[in-house]
Order: sequence, then structure tokens, then C-alpha cells
Amino acid sequence: MAYLPYLLVAPSIILLLGLIAYPLVFALKNSFYFWNLQTSATPVGFVGFANYQMVLASPAFLNSLINTLVLTFSGTALEFAFGLAIALLLSTRLRGMSVARALLIMPTTIAPIVVGFLFRYMYDPQGGIITWLMASIGLDLPAQGILGSTNTALLAILIADVWQWTPFFAIILYAGLLSVPVSLLEAARLDGASAWVMFWRIKFPFVMRTALIILILRFMQLFNTFDLVLVLTRGGPGTSSRTLGYTLYQQGLIDFNIGMASATTWLVVIIVNAIVGLYIFFAFRKWEW
Amino acid sequence: MKMRSSGVSRRQVLKTTIGTTAGAAAYSLGLGGRAPAYAQGNATTIRVLSVEDPFFFALRDVIGDFTDQTGIDVELESLSYDAMQARLVTSFVSNTSDADVVTVDQMWTGQYIDNGWIRPLDEFAAGDADLDITDFMPEVLYSLNTWRGHLATLPVAAYAQGVMYRRSVADQLGLDIPDATGSWTWDAYTDTIAAMNGQNVNGTDMFGTVICGSQPTPIVHMFTQAAASYGARWFADFPASPEWDFTPTINSPEMMAAVDQYARLYDLSPPEAINYLWFDAGTRFSTGDIGMFYWWTPYFYLIKNNGYMTGEPSVVADDYGIAPLPVAGSTPQVISLGGWSFGIPSTTEKADAAWEFLKWSTSAATQKAMGLVDTYNYQFSDFARRSLYDDSDLTAIYPYLGTQAGMLAQGNGKIARPPAPVYTTLEGIMGLELNKVLIGQQTAEEALSTMDDLFLNTLRGNFLIPYSLPSFDDTPEATVELINRLA
Amino acid sequence: MEHHPRPLRRLVIYALLALLMLFFIGPIIWFILLAIRPPGTAFTMPPVLFFEPTADAIRHTLVDPGANARQARNSLIVALGAVLLNLPFSVPAAYALSRYRMKSKKFIMLWYLGLLMAPPIAFLIPYFVLMTQIGLSGTYLSMILVLQTLIIPFSVWLMKSFIDEVPRELEEAARVDGAAWYVIMLRITLPLVRPGLIVTSMFAFVFAWNNAAFPLVLSSQQTATLPIGTLNYFASTGVTWSFIASAAVVAMVPPMLIFLVFDRYVVRGLTFGAVKG
Repeated sequence: MAYLPYLLVAPSIILLLGLIAYPLVFALKNSFYFWNLQTSATPVGFVGFANYQMVLASPAFLNSLINTLVLTFSGTALEFAFGLAIALLLSTRLRGMSVARALLIMPTTIAPIVVGFLFRYMYDPQGGIITWLMASIGLDLPAQGILGSTNTALLAILIADVWQWTPFFAIILYAGLLSVPVSLLEAARLDGASAWVMFWRIKFPFVMRTALIILILRFMQLFNTFDLVLVLTRGGPGTSSRTLGYTLYQQGLIDFNIGMASATTWLVVIIVNAIVGLYIFFAFRKWEW
Repeated sequence: MKMRSSGVSRRQVLKTTIGTTAGAAAYSLGLGGRAPAYAQGNATTIRVLSVEDPFFFALRDVIGDFTDQTGIDVELESLSYDAMQARLVTSFVSNTSDADVVTVDQMWTGQYIDNGWIRPLDEFAAGDADLDITDFMPEVLYSLNTWRGHLATLPVAAYAQGVMYRRSVADQLGLDIPDATGSWTWDAYTDTIAAMNGQNVNGTDMFGTVICGSQPTPIVHMFTQAAASYGARWFADFPASPEWDFTPTINSPEMMAAVDQYARLYDLSPPEAINYLWFDAGTRFSTGDIGMFYWWTPYFYLIKNNGYMTGEPSVVADDYGIAPLPVAGSTPQVISLGGWSFGIPSTTEKADAAWEFLKWSTSAATQKAMGLVDTYNYQFSDFARRSLYDDSDLTAIYPYLGTQAGMLAQGNGKIARPPAPVYTTLEGIMGLELNKVLIGQQTAEEALSTMDDLFLNTLRGNFLIPYSLPSFDDTPEATVELINRLA
Repeated sequence: MEHHPRPLRRLVIYALLALLMLFFIGPIIWFILLAIRPPGTAFTMPPVLFFEPTADAIRHTLVDPGANARQARNSLIVALGAVLLNLPFSVPAAYALSRYRMKSKKFIMLWYLGLLMAPPIAFLIPYFVLMTQIGLSGTYLSMILVLQTLIIPFSVWLMKSFIDEVPRELEEAARVDGAAWYVIMLRITLPLVRPGLIVTSMFAFVFAWNNAAFPLVLSSQQTATLPIGTLNYFASTGVTWSFIASAAVVAMVPPMLIFLVFDRYVVRGLTFGAVKG
């Protein structure tokens, strides 16, 4: 029976391998070929690392990488921090909390592309409610509008993402808080521990274990995000909000340069792999499988 | 870019591309026998994949006539441009297009034909009197529908570019704006805009103009009109030349003048125009705080409404005029032509029914019927047929048609946005660099020099410099010849 | 778990809560209002709060010509299909990973996680080519299959954490009686992790329902889903915000309803196995 568990896991692995291997191999192979659908319907020839050189040499790639890293790290961190704060708030067992919690998850259930439209509407420089609110409280908004300024375009995308995914963190971290054994808390209280100490010594470690997983899930999702960028800014102004996901979209589905898009794909896979690998190495050391 | 030292030889590129071109040619020649004709009364259904521009809404309203006349049912589906292009190119690459009629962007016409993705229409058009091909404006067919001397598609909507201005603003400020028969320079145009900018007219603080600043496509569509007007060209010799030479000529005094002009216009625009897509500029004008701007001719009627296909009049509906595009000194005017065309994918087995649809949808009768649809307050006047510009039923609804015809007659889409094989990549480069000029990240000089370098790299990397495939002297005259041959 | 806060603190908490609701729910309501606004009131400063609602946009999107009605049906087929295909693959895997000793358990779990690393947008063209080669392009099944690359990994992790929380002792008696593993899994374990199945299916449904990238190239005219439909109103010549909003409302409502109806399952055990302590 030793092989039984493997037999149970196998179908999912075979299906996933079948689905994921094809595009990965396709991208790997074509990243070494000259293939631009604008000039030829079929791959033209082997070009070694020329596609990689071209991608790495283009200033847009470095810009996109930096924007992606800024967006991904700050987005994940903010969503975690706000999510934790909200989870703590929800865990005060006041009347109405469960209703609030049920409503709070709503942003997470919306399609990212719809969130993009929603925020494009609210950011509108002429009649957007966010613009109006900011102006009414006397904030100095960029004359070009929130999405039109190099200073705020990426921030605007970040805010939309934080709006959508903070509730996800909040609900899951709240579930983590619920699972803290009451006996532990009572014992700490009897020992005269302050709320502060109880949070950092007891609740936080519990919650952190849950957080490890969703942090990395979100990180990977956010790293590849493109719907929001497509609808909100198309990477502009300049390259101020261009992300790797959008660059891939442009290379693949606007320019139809399969060779370059494939090279970018593998660069992205390698970069994410490095970051996630490091994270897993450190974060999952004490994980019980 | 080290492409040249690497494994692909030019010969290989040649072989592949010529192979597919030859294949397409052979395919088109073999068409003599034609696909099996559909039987009248035997329910044939064709699928038409359209882009969701104004013509689609008008076409949808009259499509029943086609079924009544031919017995062919139509499944008319619309998509956004991005989704349509993604779907079409991928389906062509794998030879599985599920549509019988597709919308073809003029920038991709050459690629579709060269790869045999769509059928050349010469065989269908030759001697088909119903087509009345001589009624199409040759400028439109040249810009949108021909490639290497073949008729590739038929135009269902043809756009030029022209100026729209607020009559009340011009009157109140005592500004002279030329009418259809007049002409003016870009300097006069800019001065007029400057005179409107910042003025309070009837309680509204005016911006002089509005531009499209969003990259890549919208900014390029608008900028290239100014560039063409100033006499700027993208390449040394393309497409009207017996020997194509794609050496970029971006870094030229003419292009520089156009960039400066565009930057001046942005200074007189709402600052948020930096993020404006096509429709944003028109929508902004229709809200009433823009003095004057130039844009694609569909905006001549779109600005009458307070939103896209809402059917409700905007505040400028009865208060705007149309003026000719300015010229740069004595440089002959070139107007950017665009629009949408239908083509027949090689994969369809219902080519004859598809041809019936192409013929019907682009016919004078159908186009007129589309112009008379009033579901959304008359939202279609993008005729490619000359006869419709004198049609009194239509001119009563669209009084600017005479002016618009003049704009189309000065049109040359292949100069304004040359359909080079890697056009979309070049457009991406141009859009980004122009956008950076507008936000002050670089000067016009820097932008042009960067553009020139990146163009050169891209064109070399794609084996287009030097050009070793057969060229075709693609002149407006060649299109006239083609029309005469097919008529 | 905590004592009830003092009145003042309570007031502060409620104030914070109200702000949170405004921040997270306000925009959704604002977008829903856009779907029923007269177009003239959509972009105004200050915003127009009261107006005579109109059903024009909703009629356009759902009834005449109603392009989005069919897309909503397509979205439903794809999302339900994705949920149904997911369970037989991910549940046995999660069960095995939870209940059996496996040498490579850590590797397998991390492998699932690693699948989410790949940029979906880059895979659109290869997926299209693949689906064409196996004759599935343009079908619901092509989207349902490809969506599994996002759904199965997530589901395995989630289901494993739920199964982990079912005490093994409950299975022991049956095991001693000689019941086969599948009898135990189906008869004993799965009924106990019904909340887990529900939560997993909820997330799977929402991931599939909301995905915009895959249908962009994998759907055909007949099988296009709602995100494609909203994108279509973002046309090059014009944008109709009321149409976008009303298509968006159609796209928002089902996932929201699901989360509201099954709310009591959402929190329970949503900890990814981190707290078995």
C-alpha cells in the first residue's frame, strides 16, 4: 500500500504537468528562435540568446522589473498589514461584526478587470469620486490626474490592488486568530500579560503561520498582474506604471513577437523562482507537512 | 541587438516568407473553380467577427435586410480591438478561424495576405458588376484594402481626420476659422487654439484643445496626422517605390516640427489628456470645455451625443463646426486614413456566402441604410463610397459630408502610418517616446534620436533592412489601375 | 475569546468599522449606481447622489441585444465546469497528502505552489496552439482545463488543511474493520469536511468566473465569458460607462451572492493547515 498515496496524487500531477509543461517548453524552445507573427507565421530560425539579449537590452524591461518589484513587495506588505489590523478589529466580538465580516470579503470576489474599470471610473480627473473627495479635503492632486502623473500612476494601481485583496488577508488572518486556543490567552491574562504582549507573543505567531502561505500566493499573483494595468494606465505615462505582466501582454498579444515574449516569460519564471525559492527556504523551515 | 551574427540567415527568412506568399498566390489562383455555391433557400449561416466601432451598431440594425435578400443567416459578433486581434492572429497561426468574415486592420492587411490567412478578393471582384468597385474612393481602397496589387478586403467604414471647433466660442472671441473651401496653417491653427485657451465663454473655462496622450496606439494615431501634414516620412522608400528601403527617416526636421507642434498642443490641452485614449478626446470635447481639436472623422457625429451610443444629445450637439486640417506652409497636405474592412479567411468553406456579405455590407445601398439608422441619433457617416457624399438624404442628416469627402480625397493612409511588416512594434516605440516628451522626461531631439535607433534595430532584427524580398511599387495609381482592371 | 470592550472603545471600533465599510463597500455600490444612472450624471463634480434610475443600460446588456446574457451563461458553464473537474483531482490528492506518510510530501506541496509562479498572460498563445492541436480551441472545456492550473494547486492546499483537522481516530475504527481507503474517504472523511469542500469550491468558482486572460484567446464567439464582455465596451471609438457598469454588475453579483449565502463556511478552517500546532 506504500504506493497508494502517490496513486492518489498522480492524476492531479499528470493533468497539471500536461497543462503546464506544454507552454513552458513552447516558451523555452521559442525563446531561442526568431519568430515574429508580424513577419512570419512560423518560426524562422535558431538565434541563440538573441531574444534574451534584446529583452534585457531594452530599457522598458528594467523599468517594468523595478515597477513590478515595487508593486509586488509594497502591495503584499500593505495588504498583510491592513489585513491584520482589520482581522484584529473583527475579532473584538461586538454585535454586528459577523455582518461586517461577511460584507468585507466582497472586493475580493470581483474580477480584477472589473476592479480596473471601477477604479478608472473613480479616478477620472473630471468626475471621478476619488478625485472629488481628494480635492474636497484639500489634497493637491497632480494636474494630469491620478492616472496621468508619473508620480501617482503606479500608486493608483497599487491602491486598487490593496482595495481588492486586503479583505482576503483580513478574513484569512481572522480565521487564524480564531484558532488561537482560548486557554493560552486566559493563561496569559492570568499572568498579567498586557494586550500588547499577548498580541506579539501569542496571537502573532499563530497568525504568521497562516500568513506564510497567503503572502506567497499573493506575491505570485501580483507579480504577474496585468488586467489592472491594461485597463488603468497601459503602462503609462512613460514607463512609470509598466509591469512585467503588461510587457508580456504587449510583446505577445500586441506585437505578436513570440520569440521575445518567450524570452521574457522565462526571465520572469527565473526571477520569481529565485524570490519564491529564497522565501520558501526561510519561511517554511519549521512548517509541519 | 546581435541578431545578424546569429543563426538565422536572410535566406531562411526569405524562404519562409516567400513560401507563404507564393502559397497565398497559388491559393488565390486556384480559386478559379470557387468553393461550392450555397443553394438558395438552403439555410446557410455565416459568422461575422466585427470590431465594436460605430459601424457595427448601424450594421446590426440593418442586417435583417441581408438575410431577406440572400437567404443567408448572419451571426454578427463584436469584440474589442485587443480581444479581436488576439483571437484572429492566434486562430490564423493554427489555421482554425471559426469566422467566415473577419474585420481586418489595415496595418495587418499585408501580413494576412502574405501568409494566406485571408483570400485575395480579386477573383471575386473581377467582373462582378454588383460590386460597383469604381464607386469606392480610390484613396480609401489604396489606404485600407490593397496589398501588392491585390484587393485584400473591402471597406465597411472609412475614416479621415479633420478639425472640430465650437462655433459659439469662435464667434464670441471673434476668431476666424476657415470653412470647407478655405485653408490654414498649423501656426494659425495653434494661434486660434491659444486664443481660446483659458478664456471664459458663457461661464465655462475653456481649454484650447485636447489631444490623445496614451501610448501606444492613441497618441500615434493622432500624432501621425500632424507628422504627415508636416511632410515627415517613416522610411526612406516605402511603400510607393519599386525598391523598398525601410531605413528609418524619423530623425528629420519635418518630424521634429511635428513633435514640437504636438507638444504645443498638449500645453493647450487639459493636462489629464496625457492618459487619454481615442474616445476620451472626443468625449471631452462633447462635455463643452474644449475650443477645437482634430481627430478621426467619426467624431464628427460621435460628439453629438453625450456618450458612446447613448442616443442622448451632448451640450455641443448644435454648437460645433467642421474645418479643414491645417497645412504646414507649402507642404502638400496628406491626411491620415483609417477605418475598418472585412476580409474572407482562407479557412472558411462558405467563401461565396462571405463574398455576398462583403459586397452587401459595403454597397452604397446598405451603407446609406446604415447612415439612416437613428437608434442612437444617427451614428454612422463613414462612407467609402463616393456617391453617398452627394446623397441628399444623408447630407440632410450629416451636413459636413462635403467637407469630409474633401478630407478623404487628400487621404493617404500608407504615408501617415506605413503598413510595414513590424508596424505594431514600431508604433509601440513611437508611442512611448512621444509620451515621454509630453511628460517632460525627454526633449523632442532625444525622442527622435531614440526612435530612429530603436526603429533601425527593430527593422534590422526582423531582416527588413536591407529588404531582400520582392518589392511592390505601391502607389495610388497602382490602386486605380487595379480598380479599372477589376471593374 | 476576549472580554467585551468598554463603551468608549466600542464607539471607536464602530467608527473604524463604518469607515472600513465605506472604503471597501462604498466603491461597489458606487459602481452599481453607475449602471442605473442617466448617462449625464455619471461624471460630475460634485457627484450626483440622487437621480431618476434608468434600466436602459441593463436592458442593453441583458435583453436587447443582450450580448452579456449569453456571456453570463457561458461564465456559469465555465465556472461550474471548473469546480466539478477540480474536485476529483484535488480531493484525493489532498487526502493522500494529509493522511499518508510520503517521503516527497514537502516537495509535492511546494510543487503545487510553484505552479502559480508562471505568468498566465505569457501562456495564452501556447495554450491556444495546444488546444487547437487537441481539437478543443474555442470550447468551454479548453477554458475549464487550463483554469485547473490555477485552481487545483490552491484547492489541494486548502483541502489538505481541512482534512488535517479531522482527527484520524475517527477513521481508525473503520480501518480496523477493514474498510478500503476510498470507503473511508468518501463515507467518513468527506462528510466531515463538507465546509472545506464548500469553501474550496467557492474559491474555485470565483477564480474561474473572474478569469479574463484565458477566455481572451481560448473562447470563441459562442463561448466568450463576461470579463471579455466588459472589455468589449471599452472599444476604440467609444466607451459606454453605463454598459461597462451593468455588465460588471452581472459579473459581480454571482460571486458576491455565493459568498454571502455560504458566509458561515468562509472563516472556518481557512488557515491553510498552519494551525494544527
